[in-house]
Amino acid sequence: MLKTAFLTLLSLAIAIVGGGGSVWYALKIQDGVGAIRIGQWTAFPDIGTPAADPYSKARVAREGVLALGRAEGLSFVAERDAAGAELKRECTYTIEGDFPTARFWTLYAADQSLGVVETGKPRLAALQSYGVVRQPDNSVIISAGHHPMPGNWLLTDGFGRMYFVLTFYDTPIASSTGLSDVSLPHIVKVGCNA
Amino acid sequence: MRSFYAAMRGLLHAVLLGLLGAGIVHIAVLLLVPEFSERDAWSRLSMASDLYKMTRLDAEAGGAPVVKSVDPLFYATACRFDLGEGMVRVKAPGHVPFWSVSVYDRSGHNIYSFNDHTATGGVLDAVVLTPAQMIDVRKDLPEDLQGAIFVEAPIEEGIFVIRAFVPDSSWKPIVSRFFEQSSCELQDF
Repeated sequence: MLKTAFLTLLSLAIAIVGGGGSVWYALKIQDGVGAIRIGQWTAFPDIGTPAADPYSKARVAREGVLALGRAEGLSFVAERDAAGAELKRECTYTIEGDFPTARFWTLYAADQSLGVVETGKPRLAALQSYGVVRQPDNSVIISAGHHPMPGNWLLTDGFGRMYFVLTFYDTPIASSTGLSDVSLPHIVKVGCNA
Repeated sequence: MRSFYAAMRGLLHAVLLGLLGAGIVHIAVLLLVPEFSERDAWSRLSMASDLYKMTRLDAEAGGAPVVKSVDPLFYATACRFDLGEGMVRVKAPGHVPFWSVSVYDRSGHNIYSFNDHTATGGVLDAVVLTPAQMIDVRKDLPEDLQGAIFVEAPIEEGIFVIRAFVPDSSWKPIVSRFFEQSSCELQDF
């Protein structure tokens, strides 16, 4: 009798903890169902639309996101550099390459919740395409780090994990057919202040 | 020895049953999260302000941001509406470098979006209405609605969001004024 009760409880415990925990984990990780990966960058073009998968819908409801519409823009998030290591706020990175067609784009350094990192300075940890210096071939080189650097400097600050969020506004790539042959800039680690 | 095997079989049975149950719970929880979430955009906005009230979403207006993950180089404002009461008209006179609009349904799904290139002369003047209301409006289009963008949405409750680009600090007062002058009201017809 006691054995039956114990086994029933065990089954229920596995079902509830396992089921709930797996949903929580699936919603927490950045990479997920419906993601499109281009290099180190991940985007969810379907998020926030009625056509989204159940995981995206749950994420939208749980986090109170109001996702950008197709006519507005498309956001990409990077959590790793080109070597596959996690992005760290104490490290210096170079973001270099071509940017796809868009009216303009913005790039910012984000913390775990994808809010802009607090720098404690008047300068935002963000850049936009109207305010960058370009190479002769129209590509852009951005240096991200704690200390001022020549060229385009993206200020970062603090310690711990970091994400880069790159958003293109009023862009043809937001329609999913254009996403296959888009190339995005590379993120290369330069060094870290230990 | 035999009773030990029986016990192990019982345990294995219980674990397998538990894993099967975990799968069912996973699906059930996943589908119920949107229904019961009290942290979705609509709930957060309704705590901050009333229907037909423009509310700033970014942290710039003071206090924590109402809805998260807004681009730091953007300001955003939103109002909630209920098409069951009638169609809603949103206007924002003035010019900013870039604005875009999204209409969301009650659960935060993007129904329709457009930007300043869509609007006549780049001025934001939009009407959100149901297909049934659209039929009525088509019969006799009022003079002052001639230049407006009509957004036909098969929904009742919804959220109207305006986002505007702030290229640098010098644009902050201009974009703030753009939002202060914006209006969101029930349109009589």
